[in-house]
Amino acid sequence: MKKYNSFTRNLIAFSLKPWINYALVALVFIFSISCDSSDETDTEKPVIDLSMADAYPTSCATIYFDEPFNFKAYFSDNFTLGSYSIDIHNNFDHHSHSTEEDDCTLDDKKTATNPYVFINDYEIPENLSSYEANLTMTIPSSDASGIFQEGDYHFYISLTDKEGWSTQKGLSIKILHK
Amino acid sequence: MLALFLMFGYAFSQTNEELKGIVTNTENISLKGALVKINELNKGAITDVHGEFIISGLQKGSYEINISFLGYENLTTRVSLPTTTPFRFSLSKTPISLQEVVITDNYATNRKKDEPLGIEIVNEDYLKQNLGGSLMKSLERLPGISTIDIGSGQSKPVIRGLSFNRVVVVENNIKHEAQQWGADHGLEIDQYAVDNIEIIKGPASLMYGSDAIGGVIDMKNNKLPEKNSLSGAVDISGKTNNDFIGTSVSVEGRKEWFFATLTATLLDYGDFRVPTDSVDIYNYRAALHDNYLRNTAGNEQNLHLSFGLVKDKIQSRFYLSNVNSKSGFFANAHGLEPRNVDTDVHDRSSRDIQYPFQEVNHFKVINSTTIWQEKSRLEIDLGYQRNHREEWSQYVQHGYMPAVFPDTLDFDMDLERKFIKDIYSANVKFFYQASDKTQVNSGISGEYKENQINGRGFIIPAYSQVNIGGFVLGRHELSPSKQFQAGMRYDHGRIKTSSYFDWFPSPLDDAVDPETNFLQRAASINRSFSNFTWSLGYNYNPGKWNYKVNIGKSFRMPIPKELAANGVNYHRFSYEVGNPDLSPEIAYQLDLGITFGSEKFAAGASPFLNYFSNYIYLNPTSSHDRLYGNGNQIFIYTESQVLRYGGEFHSHYELLDWLQLGLIGEYIYSRQLSGEKEGYTLPFSPPASAIINLKYNEKTVGRIDNPYLSVDYKITAAQNNIVPPEVITKGYQVVNVGIGGEVNLYKQKLNLSIQVQNLLNKKYFNHTSYYRLINVPEPGRNFIVNINIPFHSSKTL
Repeated sequence: MKKYNSFTRNLIAFSLKPWINYALVALVFIFSISCDSSDETDTEKPVIDLSMADAYPTSCATIYFDEPFNFKAYFSDNFTLGSYSIDIHNNFDHHSHSTEEDDCTLDDKKTATNPYVFINDYEIPENLSSYEANLTMTIPSSDASGIFQEGDYHFYISLTDKEGWSTQKGLSIKILHK
Repeated sequence: MLALFLMFGYAFSQTNEELKGIVTNTENISLKGALVKINELNKGAITDVHGEFIISGLQKGSYEINISFLGYENLTTRVSLPTTTPFRFSLSKTPISLQEVVITDNYATNRKKDEPLGIEIVNEDYLKQNLGGSLMKSLERLPGISTIDIGSGQSKPVIRGLSFNRVVVVENNIKHEAQQWGADHGLEIDQYAVDNIEIIKGPASLMYGSDAIGGVIDMKNNKLPEKNSLSGAVDISGKTNNDFIGTSVSVEGRKEWFFATLTATLLDYGDFRVPTDSVDIYNYRAALHDNYLRNTAGNEQNLHLSFGLVKDKIQSRFYLSNVNSKSGFFANAHGLEPRNVDTDVHDRSSRDIQYPFQEVNHFKVINSTTIWQEKSRLEIDLGYQRNHREEWSQYVQHGYMPAVFPDTLDFDMDLERKFIKDIYSANVKFFYQASDKTQVNSGISGEYKENQINGRGFIIPAYSQVNIGGFVLGRHELSPSKQFQAGMRYDHGRIKTSSYFDWFPSPLDDAVDPETNFLQRAASINRSFSNFTWSLGYNYNPGKWNYKVNIGKSFRMPIPKELAANGVNYHRFSYEVGNPDLSPEIAYQLDLGITFGSEKFAAGASPFLNYFSNYIYLNPTSSHDRLYGNGNQIFIYTESQVLRYGGEFHSHYELLDWLQLGLIGEYIYSRQLSGEKEGYTLPFSPPASAIINLKYNEKTVGRIDNPYLSVDYKITAAQNNIVPPEVITKGYQVVNVGIGGEVNLYKQKLNLSIQVQNLLNKKYFNHTSYYRLINVPEPGRNFIVNINIPFHSSKTL
């Protein structure tokens, strides 16, 4: 009980000069919250770099059906890269937009009846902090339903690192029949 | 009124003397809600609006009575019965209390002292003075409470950093069940129809079952109209930021033992405005038109009816309510990737709701019956709820969905998702006063729910779930200032999920016939879970001090989303996958509480320490999906050990009779101790924050009673502890102002409250906003006005 008494007496002393003490408590509290430091965990996203000379496709590029092309991009991370995915879908209704500062001219809007769709995920060899993706791809010109529609498409790249941070790039491209 | 029944209803005797009187303050103003108690009989009453009370069924003789009212000195005096004239008691103002931090009444102070867990109690006046876009927004100022918001009218409760299925919301004794797992859904609760809210901070599985692992928001619309009265109120609210206009009308009446109340609410708001002209959605910049966050308008129509009977030993009440809301999602950030929108259509009006939007209807019918006996009380609650939710957006072919939507399906092409959930609940609680010092509370509860799904997008399967649980909680008074509490509970639940196949074929390499290869997204799961939980608490109230300690185990059953999700999150552009092998989440928590109140100064702190042996967590992996969306990153539910600690602090000091200085603060730290994200925090961790408040208030100025002017200076620290896919959020300071009072215009009273939120129109980000990831700042300066016009019928019924 003695413990409590002395504690109480202290608090009574406290309330005698409440102004000063009050301000002090407030200051300590604000100081303690503003010093909230971060843990040492990775908080950086990986990077998709399309600035090198032979990166492909880049914004506003044209790809032709049945004609092989090289997908080339440079990936990097402060620690370890994870995986990446590529998605190609139509932009006939102008719904998608490029993440790049570009101004590609789009064709008039049209209804998708048999557009080309591509989705795939790719592994990156383990324990790499930088990687150059280099894939030869060919877009077929038709499927069982007939010839694919040509026009505006969206080339979407998603990249992760091992911790689960991710970054995306969406490019406006055209896919045409030759 | 109900508190009266709860606390003293069991003591009825055969004699017929009455103790009648009025309680006023020293200025002769009558005090409503004061507790008058006869010490010898442990019997009492609460004063009505006129400050009057009657305690009947007494024998002739002399009694010691005690009168208490928050903010006033207790009065103990001796009276003799019978007497011819009513007694008149006047109370003098006390030393300051904590009422400024949280508006409380007398019941609230007692309750806060008795409950070993941290607790906040809020009444409708507090809600009006802090009116936000939704119920949770209005409660956000409380220490330890924050929200996860999507748009201006939808918020999810967060208690000490925990949310979704870790917080139980109870309305009129029945657990509110909707699609709690979704961060883009709000609470289907009408804040204009809530009288009293009790918030338990910390694990409360013991009384509330699975899911109450983070805390409880317990709301009651339990006002009992006075005998033979007819009254009501009209509320009119307006907000400038989103051109909000709202009205709520309530009428209540009682004829002896029969009573009824009716409330109707209509709300309509436009897109909200942010102090920026563009937002960066991941790597894409979307321009905003006139600062409007495109397509975030909404509306709400709610109706509540309650009626019942109140007799000496029984009260039975029916509640019927229907809450319906429709609100838009920010149009550029919904789908599989940031989207272009047709600005001609979307920016034509800031009040229309275009695609994408959500529409929710929540219907409830509840019966709550209480029967009092000499030493016991029996409560039976029965409830049925139907939650009907639809999410609509323009059909976009994704994954291998066909470009041309087939006309053979039983859902509309633009119906993204639809959920219909039926919930049947029953609780039986029994309270027994074993001796002067010992009380026992026990109960069983059961719940059956069935969830149907529809629409073109899959995220969770259809399922049915049954839960049953029972608890016993004992409280013993060791001495008038020391109480001990112990309890235990057992729960059992079974979840059955249905399998789900895509409605469109996917061309897989190994498929025999790609044209008919309908992928199975979810297998059927049949799992059952059982758990035993317990809690121990101790309170010590020596004079001006109050100490609390509580330790307990809580648990939560995995939800179908965690077990069987397999689909795209259209707001986060991510792919979410469940894990059918998850075990129930277990948490242990130590809670402490200490408060002090003296003449001019009051302070309290409530630290906690919390350990999860298996926190269920949606872990962002390094993999991508290639069968559904557009190659989205995969998030999988996993379990990890988590340590959390933190607490709240509140205090205030009376500078002058009419001027108070207050400080409220909260801090939470969490860290994953195992698993793939070891060392990381948990998602949506609120940053530390403090509010410095200066409040002027007086009894009467001219024609205005209780005028107040309150200035909040809110300081929020940066949140540097993040986990993928979050971004670091800078600290900020915001100034909010509130002004109001009760204006007497001739014979009519008007309760006026005006707020200016974000007075300086500061651009800042809220770390726990759902739109934080796409860099949408918080709303700019917002004037909020609420006028409440009470009315009473002069005729008695």
